[in-house]
Amino acid sequence: MCLALYTGSVDKLTAAGIILGGAAADDMIVDIYVLLQGARAFRKDIGDNADKLQMAENPGLKAEFMESLKNLKVKTWVEFFKEAKEITDVKIHICGLAGKVWGGEKLDDFINLADDICGIGAYITSAQEADVNLFI
Amino acid sequence: MTTEELKNVNVVKSVDARGTSCPGPLLEAKKAIGTIKDGDIMEILSADEGTKVDIPKWCTKQGHEYLGTIEESGYFRIFMKKK
Repeated sequence: MCLALYTGSVDKLTAAGIILGGAAADDMIVDIYVLLQGARAFRKDIGDNADKLQMAENPGLKAEFMESLKNLKVKTWVEFFKEAKEITDVKIHICGLAGKVWGGEKLDDFINLADDICGIGAYITSAQEADVNLFI
Repeated sequence: MTTEELKNVNVVKSVDARGTSCPGPLLEAKKAIGTIKDGDIMEILSADEGTKVDIPKWCTKQGHEYLGTIEESGYFRIFMKKK
C-alpha cells in the first residue's frame, strides 16, 4: 500500500492511523510519503500534541471530537503509526521540500517514526508499484 | 457452527478486546494468533459492532477459519480456528 499523507490535521491523521491498523492486521507492506502539511505534524515539537494540530473538518467541534476519542480509548495518531510499524513493514518517508517548508532538513528534526527523507520521484515510483494507493 | 456448538468448542485462547475501539480488536487478534498452534480455536471478545464483520473478512484473507459469533449482553464472542 502506498499512502500519500498530505494532511497535518488531527482528524485526518487519526483516520490514517486507523487505516494503518487495518493494513498491519493484514501484514501489508506500507510506504507512507509525508507531503506538505503532513511534515509539520511529524516535527518533534508537534507529533501527537493535539493542541498544536487543527481539524480539517468541523474545526469548531475539535474539543468534542478529542473528548470522544478519549472516552472511546482511541489511540493518538502517533500511537497508531507506531503500533503499525511494530506489526508490519511500514516505512515513513518525509518529502524533502515539505520538511524544509516547516523548518526540518534532517531526519533528526522529525519524530523517530520517520525512516528517511526523499524526493517526489520515490513517491511516484512507489505509487506505480503499489496495489493500493491512498491520498489523505 | 450453531450457537450451541460454539458454546461447547475448546477455546485455547480468549482475547478480551472489549476495552478497545476499532481497529483495536482486530490488532489484538492479530497479535494473539501468533501465540497459538494450527488447529487451535481462539475467541475474540469485542464490544465494537464492526469487529463481527472485520474478523470474518480477516480470517478469509489470512487463511484461518471463521467459526461464528455469539452475541452476549453488550459484546460479541467471535470464534476462529487457526489454519
